Amino acid sequence: MAAYDVLSIDGGLKLLPEIVLLAGILALFFITNLGDAKIRIPLTRLRIPALLGGNRFKWNSDPRIPGIVSVFTLIFAIGMLIQTLGDDCADIMKGFCSETTILTTTGKNPVHLLKLDSFSRLFELMFFLALLLVSAASLNRLQADSNPSNDDLEQLLDNRRQVDFYLLLLISGLGMTVVAMSMNLFVLFIGLELASLPIYVLVAFHKESKAGSEAGVKYFITGAISSAVGLYGMSLLYLWSGSLQLTVLEAAWASMDTPEALPLFGISLLLVGFGFKISSVPFHFVAPDAYSGASSPVAALLATASKTLGFIGLMRILMIVTLPETGETAVWMFAFGTLSVVTMTWGNLAALGSENPKRMLAYSSVAHAGYMMAALVAVAAWKSGSYTETNNNGLMAAELIIGAIIFHLFVLISFKIGAFMVISHLETEDDVTDMSSLHGLAKREPIIATSMFVFMLALAGVPPLAGFMSKFLMVTGIVQVASADVLVNNNVDLIPTILGMHWTFFLAIAIFINSAISLYYYLRIGVLMFFEESSTRLPLPKVSILRFVIFVCAIGTVFFGINSDWLVETVTNAASALFADS
Amino acid sequence: MAENKTKLNDGMYVIGGLFIAISVLMFASPNMPSMENDWVTLPLIGLPILGSLLLMGFASAVPAWRKESISETIKYASLGIALIVLIITTLMMTDILMNVHWANITFNQYMYEVEYNWINSIGAEWHVGIDGLSMPMVWLTALLVPITIITTWNEKKPWYYHPLLILMGGCLIGVFVSLDFFMFYVFWELTLVPMFFLILNWGGKERKYAAQKFFIYTFTASILMLLGIITLYLLQDPSTANASITGRTFDMHDMIQNAQEQVILGNIWLGPGVQKLLFVLFMAGFLVKLPVVPFHTWLPDAHVQAPTGGSMLLAGVMLKMGAYGMFRIPISMFPYALVEFQMPLMIIGMISLFYGAWVCLGQTNLKRMVAYSSVSHMGIILLGIASLQPLGFAGAIFMMFAHGLISPMLFGVAGAFKHHYHTLEIGSMRGMAKHSPWLAGNMMFSWMGSLGLPLLAGFVAEVAVLIALWFEFGWWVIIPGITLAITAAYYLWSMQRTIFEGGENTELPKSLGDEKPRDIALSENIGLISLAILIVIFGIFPFIFFEMMSGYSSELIKQMLMDDIMRRW
Repeated sequence: MAAYDVLSIDGGLKLLPEIVLLAGILALFFITNLGDAKIRIPLTRLRIPALLGGNRFKWNSDPRIPGIVSVFTLIFAIGMLIQTLGDDCADIMKGFCSETTILTTTGKNPVHLLKLDSFSRLFELMFFLALLLVSAASLNRLQADSNPSNDDLEQLLDNRRQVDFYLLLLISGLGMTVVAMSMNLFVLFIGLELASLPIYVLVAFHKESKAGSEAGVKYFITGAISSAVGLYGMSLLYLWSGSLQLTVLEAAWASMDTPEALPLFGISLLLVGFGFKISSVPFHFVAPDAYSGASSPVAALLATASKTLGFIGLMRILMIVTLPETGETAVWMFAFGTLSVVTMTWGNLAALGSENPKRMLAYSSVAHAGYMMAALVAVAAWKSGSYTETNNNGLMAAELIIGAIIFHLFVLISFKIGAFMVISHLETEDDVTDMSSLHGLAKREPIIATSMFVFMLALAGVPPLAGFMSKFLMVTGIVQVASADVLVNNNVDLIPTILGMHWTFFLAIAIFINSAISLYYYLRIGVLMFFEESSTRLPLPKVSILRFVIFVCAIGTVFFGINSDWLVETVTNAASALFADS
Repeated sequence: MAENKTKLNDGMYVIGGLFIAISVLMFASPNMPSMENDWVTLPLIGLPILGSLLLMGFASAVPAWRKESISETIKYASLGIALIVLIITTLMMTDILMNVHWANITFNQYMYEVEYNWINSIGAEWHVGIDGLSMPMVWLTALLVPITIITTWNEKKPWYYHPLLILMGGCLIGVFVSLDFFMFYVFWELTLVPMFFLILNWGGKERKYAAQKFFIYTFTASILMLLGIITLYLLQDPSTANASITGRTFDMHDMIQNAQEQVILGNIWLGPGVQKLLFVLFMAGFLVKLPVVPFHTWLPDAHVQAPTGGSMLLAGVMLKMGAYGMFRIPISMFPYALVEFQMPLMIIGMISLFYGAWVCLGQTNLKRMVAYSSVSHMGIILLGIASLQPLGFAGAIFMMFAHGLISPMLFGVAGAFKHHYHTLEIGSMRGMAKHSPWLAGNMMFSWMGSLGLPLLAGFVAEVAVLIALWFEFGWWVIIPGITLAITAAYYLWSMQRTIFEGGENTELPKSLGDEKPRDIALSENIGLISLAILIVIFGIFPFIFFEMMSGYSSELIKQMLMDDIMRRW
C-alpha cells in the first residue's frame, strides 16, 4: 500500500481526474470571460491586451461553449481516471487496484485524508458518468441565443446563466469525488458540502417557475439543517475519540465494551445527515418537492449522484466504524431494519397516488433507498450470526451484499437518468406537471415511449433488465445470511424451518411485496403512453443530443441486464476493497 | 412532409442502434462459442425474438401514412418466421434431424442439449435441452403461432401485432427449453411483456384494467418462485462453480441429478422442512399461472379483454407454462414433498375442476365461459399429478397438449363470433347455423372437443387421468365424473340456444344492427379447421405423443418417486 503526502507531486499525480475537473472549472471561468479589453502601459502609447474584460470575442460569446467545455472536461476526466487506473490496477477491466493513501504529516501522527482504491475509483467513475449524461442532456436545456442584441439584458443574463449552471455542476462533481475518496470524517464533510451547496443552487436554478424557487429554498433549508445536525454529531464523535479519522474511530468503537451515550448519540446524529441525502423516511418529505421543482436533469442528478453520496457515507459509517465483531449485534440493526421497511413501503404507497410523473419518480427513488437500506441491514445480520462461510474465492456474504448495493447505484445511472431525460424531452414542449403529458406518447414518439417503458420495467425489476439483476443480487445476499443457520439443518419440518429464519428474511419478502406494489404505478406509465389518446399527434421537438442520451441509457439498461458479468465482478471487488481495511 | 421525414430518420437510428447493440452483445464476450449443431438457441429462440424486434423496428421507421403499404410484407415475414420454427420443431419431433427415440430417453437426459457461458459471475448459463416433457410443448408452441397468425390475419395494426405474436412464441419456447433457473426465470417473465401489449393495444373495452391485472397478478406469483429459486441456489455446495462470486450455479440438470442421487441413497434431499418450503414456494408461482381456484381471477378478465390471437396463445400455451414448471421443478426435485402434499393438491384440483365447471353454467359471456372451462380443465392436470401414477402423469401431460389444441380453437371461434356478430353474449341470438354455417360448425366441433367426446384429443387425456384417479383414490373419481357431465351440460345448453333454436324465424343479436350476418373469412377458416384436423388426429392416434409422455412419466416415477410412494404405504 503506497502512501503519499497530500502536497507531494506523486500524491498530486494520483489525483489527476480531480485536477482535470479543477482545470475544467477554471477553463469555464476564463474562456467565457475572455474579451478584447486592453491596458495602456502608463506613459506610453503601448496597449497590451488584458484578455479579461471588455467585449467578448465572437468565438467565445457563443452560449453553448460552457456546456461543450463541461462535456469535454468530464470525458477527459474519465479518460484520466482510466489512465491512473492503468498505473495502479492489475486488471483494469475488473478493477483489481492497489491502494494509495493520501495523508498529511504536519501533526504529531499522520492523518489519513484520502484513499484511492477500487471502491473510490468505481464511485468516481459513477459520478463522472452521471454528470456527463446530465451535462450532455442540459446542452439544449437553457434558452440561449448566440447573437443577443446588446441592449437585451434578459438574453445576456440567460447566456451568463449557462456558465453558472455548468460551473456549479463541475464544482459539485469535485465535491463528490472527495466524498468517494475520504478516509476522514472531516474531509468527508467538506466534500459533502462542496457537492451539496452547488446542488442547492441547481435545484433553484429553474427560476422561471415559482415551484423552482420554492423547491430550492425548501431543499436548501432542510439540507442545511441536516448538515448542521450531522456536523454536530461529528463534533461529538471528535469529543469522544479525539480524531475524525475513520480507522481511529473504528478502533475506538471496537475497544468500547458497553455502548456509551456520547458516540451513540454522535453516530445517530450523523446518520440524520446521510439519511437526508438518501431521502430515507422520515427525511424524505422534501424529496418530491425538490424533484418536481428542479429541472429534470438536475432532478436526475439528485436521484442518482446525490443519493450515491449518502450511501457512501452510510457505508463508511456503518460498515467501517460501527460494524461489531462477529457474533455481536450491531446497535443500529433493528432500528435500521424497521426504517428500511417503512421507507420502501411509504415510498411505494405515496408513488401509487402521485399524479405528477416527477413526484412519482421521487417517491420511487425513496422506495429504492429502502431496498438498499434493507441490504445494509443484512450485513449486520451476517455479523451477528455465527455464519462465516467463505467460498473458494474467499468472498464473504457481506461483500456480495455491498456489491449488490453498488451495482444498484451504478445501474440507476442508466435507467433513472433515462426516465428523467424522457421527462426532460417532454419539457421541451411544455411543463410536465401531471400524467397527461405522457398520454399517447407511443403514437407520437414510439422509440422514446419504448425506452421509457424499458426504464419503468427496469425500475420495477423485471428481467432481463439491469434493475432485475441488482434486486436479484440484493435479495440473494439477504436470503443467504438470513437462512444460513436453518437451511443446513436437515431434520426439521416445514414450520420450524420458517420460524427458524433470521428476521432479516422478512426484509427479502418485504422487498418482494413492495416490488409487486410498485409494478402498478410503473405499468401505469406504460398504459398511459400506449393507451391514452393525446391531444396532438405531432412528434416532440427534435433535440438530437437528448435523444442520444435517452438511447444510451436504454442500451445501458438492457446491456447491464443481459451481460452483467463485468459489472458484477467490478462491484464485488469494490466491496472487498471497502472491507479490506476494516 | 418534414414531419414524416424526421420520423423515418428516427426509426433508422433505432434499427442501426439495435444492430450495433446486438453485435456488441454478441462479441462483447471474447470467446464467442461456435453454434454448430445447436438447433435450439438461434433457430427456435433467437430467430423469432430478433426477427420480431427487427420487424417492429422497421415498422416504427415507416411513417404513419405509409404503414398500410408495408402491412402485407410484415404479415408474410412473420408467418414465414413462424413456419420456419414449426418446420424445425417438426423435424426434431419426427427423428429426422437427429436419430432420437423420444420415448426411450432416460430421466434427466436431454436431446439437443447445449450449454454456453452467460453471466459467469453469478453462475448463470445459457443451457437448453429438450426431453419427452418439453418436446410436445415446444411443438405445440411452434404450431400455434402460425395458426394464430393465420386465424387473426386481418387484425388491425398488423405491423406490430404479428411480430408481437412471434415474439411471444420465441419467449415461450425459451421457457420450455431452458435448463438453467436464471434463464428459465428471465423467459418466464419475458412472456408477460408481449402479452401485456397484446391485451393493451388490441383488447376489449376494459383492456387497461385487464392488462395491468394480468401483469401484476402473475408477476407477484412468480416473485415467490424467484424466492424459491434463490433459496435453492444458495443451498448448493459453495464450491460448485469457480468463476461465480457465490460459488454456485443455476443449473437445473445438476440439481435434478443431486436430488436423484439422494433418492438412490434413500435420503431426503435437503431435508424434509426445506423440501416442503421450496415445494410450496415453487407451487405458488405455478398454481397461479395454471391457474387454480382461488387464484384464477386474473384469467377470465385477461381472456375476455384479450384479442383473439392473444387469448389463443394465452390459453393454448401460457397456461401450460404452469403445468410444465410443476413437472420440471417441484416434481422432479422434491418428490418427498410431493408425496406429502398429495392430498392438498388433489383437493385443490377437485375444487378447481368442479368450481370452474359450475361457474360456467352461469356465464352469459362466451369468452368468460371458455375461460372458466379452462380453469376446470387445468384442475384435471392437477388431479393427474396428484394421482402419482405414471398413467396420471402422462394423462396430465397429454391434457396440457390436448387443451393446447382445443382451447385456441375455442377462443378462435369466440373471437370470430365477436368479430362478425359484435357480441359475446351467449343468449343473444338464435339459429346461427342458418347464417354462418362454417362458424357454427367450427363452434360445435370445438365445444365437442372441450367436453371430451371420444375420438377427440381431450378424451384420451381425461380417460387416462380418471383411470389413474380410480387406482389411487377409488370412489373420489365420482366428482370428476359429475363435473364432466356438467361440462357437457353447459356446452350443449349453449349450443342449443345459440346455434340451433329459432327455427325459420332466427333471432339476430341486437348488436348487429342493420348489418347482414356474414360467415367467417377464409383465413379464419383455414386456421380453425387445421386445429380441428389436429384434434381429430391426436384423438385417433394419441400415441404420436402419448408414447414419449408416458416414457417420461414412468421414468420420472421410477427414478424419483418410487421410494417415497413405497415409504408412504
